[in-house]
Amino acid sequence: MSDQPLRGQVITSQLIASLAARTALETRGVLRLEPTIKGFLARLGPAALQNLLNPGSQNGTYKHDGVAATISDGTAHVHLDIATDIACTALTVAEAVQQRVRERISHTGVTPGRVDICILAIEPQSWKRPT
Amino acid sequence: MDDHGPGFEAEPDLDEGSIVARAQDGDLAAFEHLVITYQDRVFRLAYRMLNDRGQAEDIVQETLTTSWHGLHMLADVDAFGGWIYRLATNKCLDLLRKRSTRAENVTNPDDIRSVTETGTTRAAAGTDPAHEAEWSAQQDGLTAVLNTLPPAQRACWLLREMHGRTYAEIGATLKISPTAVRGTLARARHQIAEGMSQWR
Amino acid sequence: MALEDIPRLGCGRSIDRIWATLNQPPTAHEAQCDQCQAARTRLKGLSEATRSLREGDLHNPALKPRPGVTNAILDVARAEVRRSKRILLHRTDNGTTEISEQALSSIIRFAATTIPGIHSRRCRIEIRSAADSLSGEDNPTGNSRTTTNAGPHLFVNLRVAAAAGIDIPRTVDALRREIGNAIPAGVGISAGTINITVEDLYDV
Repeated sequence: MSDQPLRGQVITSQLIASLAARTALETRGVLRLEPTIKGFLARLGPAALQNLLNPGSQNGTYKHDGVAATISDGTAHVHLDIATDIACTALTVAEAVQQRVRERISHTGVTPGRVDICILAIEPQSWKRPT
Repeated sequence: MDDHGPGFEAEPDLDEGSIVARAQDGDLAAFEHLVITYQDRVFRLAYRMLNDRGQAEDIVQETLTTSWHGLHMLADVDAFGGWIYRLATNKCLDLLRKRSTRAENVTNPDDIRSVTETGTTRAAAGTDPAHEAEWSAQQDGLTAVLNTLPPAQRACWLLREMHGRTYAEIGATLKISPTAVRGTLARARHQIAEGMSQWR
Repeated sequence: MALEDIPRLGCGRSIDRIWATLNQPPTAHEAQCDQCQAARTRLKGLSEATRSLREGDLHNPALKPRPGVTNAILDVARAEVRRSKRILLHRTDNGTTEISEQALSSIIRFAATTIPGIHSRRCRIEIRSAADSLSGEDNPTGNSRTTTNAGPHLFVNLRVAAAAGIDIPRTVDALRREIGNAIPAGVGISAGTINITVEDLYDV
């Protein structure tokens, strides 16, 4: 597995989604992905959880917790719903996320396609911390 | 605290009209504030109407979910509280109508007992035992007689005496005139007072 | 139902009347009427029981819904708030950037919190989105790769409640300036047109 080059066909949309989510969360000014449905899933019970976490097929769309990824013809398209910190300029944050996600995707051997970002919430970061 | 949107913790003295207006715009922190403000009130009303915890919780959930869906249509932001009480009362009355058509008595005696006991324990602090016993008996009598009233009359009494709503608002909720509210209340008080004297 | 429905004692007194005057000394009639005295005693008992039930229920920890109920209500709200209007800020071949009306209003509301004597209420944002602007005066070539800082032209309609007694024109000017600064800083687009309506006064 390790000496096998990462090619488009072995990269799943789930992997792209998780890469995009992680990259977004590492970007300065991103507070979280929206919606924060972790607690919601837990309350829905194991069946719903299984259903929602079911990985998309190789060429299908994978959707989870504010991120959707599709791979078609070796090109990955990503949609991210994010909440940003009011101390940062939202458009600048979104552009940084877009650029970094595209970079990370290109490292997998898949061609980065459109990375669409929707800023769903803007909040002060300090209010997210328990005082 | 999690889940508080902008402009909220910074404005602890916000008037309810402004909070309602923000919730109308889809501000979740504002709506959460309204849910927290009204859910206990609606629960107390529904519990005394239905005597069933689970169903009272359903009423709370349905009422506040309905309010979220219909919030944008509320013209007067200051009418929110009255609207919530109207939604909740009518949902309770609907449920009681369904119950009576099924000729089912879903009053759960364990449920009532547990609530009464907790209430008694709580109230016992700082009161002498004799007074406590009297207080508890008085309350038991009141709730027992209350449950014998017809649903609309019970709603009228609860809205006025437990929740302090106005005659005009209660009238709008029960689709009767404020004068009729006054009459209904007087009859409810008379019946409860009579019933309590016999109950003891 | 009419007023005649109000129950009366054998002596003719209405229950309503007795209830309303419970806290007053009995009238001459009431003092010597057995029916009135009995009714007063019963209604006083009811009045006390009513008060204690009200207080008891209010402070009874068992008379609250489970925390799960709150969460279920808020989950519905969260799931649906995502459908709020989205405004296109920026489009290139690499993808689009949109912002929800919700996120934009939170910037505006946050700006309003810095102005004393103002409570922001409803906020409506109308837009000519970035796509329209690009094909229009901002970018006559229509080159979609061009990044523009102009973005969409916003029409902000904010309704506010003002503290009674404040200087409204001066406060509204300050609010407009604050919003005019907050949108470029927080979102990265120009503020456009800001309409403010004072719709209510609140007491301080």
